[in-house]
Amino acid sequence: MRRLVAVSLAGLIAWVCVEPLAAYLKIGTRVGTRTVNLRWRDFPIRYFVTNRGVDGVTAAQFQSAVNRAFNTWHAVETAQTSSEFVGFTPAPPFDDDDMSVIGYLDRPGQNRTLAATTFLIDTVSGEIVESDIFFNTSFPWSTAESGVTGRYDVESIALHEIGHLLGLSHSALGETELVGSGRRVIAAEAVMFPIAFSPGNISDRALKADDIAGISDVYGTSAFSRASGSISGRVTKNGSGVQGAHIIAFNPRTGRLIGGFTQSADGNFVIASLDPGPHVLRVEPLDDGDVESFFDSSMTVDLDFGARFHDRVVTVPRGGDANGVELRVMPK
Amino acid sequence: MAAAALSLSWLTAGVAGAQPRPAPQAGQHRGVWEVGGGVVYLAGYDLGERAAELTRNSTSTSVGSFEQFSSDSRITAVPGLQARLGYYLTDGLVIEGGFRFLRPVLRIRLTGDTENAPDTSAEETLSQYVVEGSAVWHILPLAFAGGRGVPFLTGGAGYLRELHEGDELVETGTTYHVGGGLKYWFGASRRVGVRGDAGVSFRDGGFDFEEELRPVPTAGASIVFAF
Repeated sequence: MRRLVAVSLAGLIAWVCVEPLAAYLKIGTRVGTRTVNLRWRDFPIRYFVTNRGVDGVTAAQFQSAVNRAFNTWHAVETAQTSSEFVGFTPAPPFDDDDMSVIGYLDRPGQNRTLAATTFLIDTVSGEIVESDIFFNTSFPWSTAESGVTGRYDVESIALHEIGHLLGLSHSALGETELVGSGRRVIAAEAVMFPIAFSPGNISDRALKADDIAGISDVYGTSAFSRASGSISGRVTKNGSGVQGAHIIAFNPRTGRLIGGFTQSADGNFVIASLDPGPHVLRVEPLDDGDVESFFDSSMTVDLDFGARFHDRVVTVPRGGDANGVELRVMPK
Repeated sequence: MAAAALSLSWLTAGVAGAQPRPAPQAGQHRGVWEVGGGVVYLAGYDLGERAAELTRNSTSTSVGSFEQFSSDSRITAVPGLQARLGYYLTDGLVIEGGFRFLRPVLRIRLTGDTENAPDTSAEETLSQYVVEGSAVWHILPLAFAGGRGVPFLTGGAGYLRELHEGDELVETGTTYHVGGGLKYWFGASRRVGVRGDAGVSFRDGGFDFEEELRPVPTAGASIVFAF
């Protein structure tokens, strides 16, 4: 018998984690003592769109943008996903109604949340049974082909939220700066970065290497599993594990950047879906976003160390794991 | 290293089992075998620069990419071992098979980190094996010192096999080489000599960041024995 539980994930800007744990590029839920990755078992994912428009965006324009965002994820050749637009519905998102609904909600109190995703999951298998996405009407929106200054791009934000819907967590591949009480993105290399680009920017309509690695990790084809590899190891400081460190695997041949985290006190990490060949590893503290955007608030994240590179090139084997890597960091 | 040693010992056994022949004279080598072994030097080469780039949050004042750090990759120059076995089809033309083993180092210089990660050189050592076949044309009209010194031109192709550190990833390719050199024979028997050569090896495949044919200068020195 399946135990179903509703969980919520805020999408961009802020993220409140109720039940799931942030795992490497994936969302996990705890079943007993183990963590099960969230994923859909049955495809196509059938979704509805709320029959409601907002200033500047009709319901039909909204649905078209959402459809394009779904198709961008489905176009990843190394992963197998699909979806089907069932139709418009008067039902708003976030109702527990056995329908996956994407649409607008009035949430003026959530003035830092552009959009968010919720799940109904089977906590035994990790299967996603239902998932809703809401877009906050408190923000100005656009579906214009080239974007509109001062308005957030529906397709870009939908691409991020559909990443959550598919089971991906946040990526930390980005640089930010403090502006007032919040953060502004300077640059990012993942659609799944938790803070959105500025209004009018449409860069996040295209997936980056980190996003593609993530979706391929969850829904990868068998051919991709045989053709790609991983790096695993440990981040240590004075001989002890570092929790919450962000590790970047950089491919000097292609320039691709793929990130991962140490998620436990022993400092262990795994970065999967890597191209075979030499990689450079860089480790840094998780200081470009709210820690809660990535991990359960109960997790203690070590921020007291400086960024550094590993002094060995790590070669990823085809279909295997380059293990035993130790990244030593120093206190600031 | 083990493979190189094995190859040399096999060649030595071949020499020991050979029938005695008259000492080869200048311009009279047809039917003679020649075996040699020595060192080879592979010039280093750049694999190129590549920046770790993030997509900038474009505004009216800043566009383009944001460089988080930069990398500059290079294969370092390295000495190795080589062995050859050749047969004189004519007095001037030799066909030969050869084997080379080298341990080049991939060095990636990492600099300019936006969060002040110290500049670092990350390295790994590759194991490179080349099995190749060549034609060697001795330029007999240019022989000197009574025929002891003979310049030659050479060219051929080979199979390239490179293993990354830990031997967990193999990359293969083809090599083509052209070059020239000089042999100098010692003693009255002229069975023992030295060979020096230099040339260019063109790599197609193997470990590289580019798809194009890559020219790599090489040089070598060997002791040779004719029988």
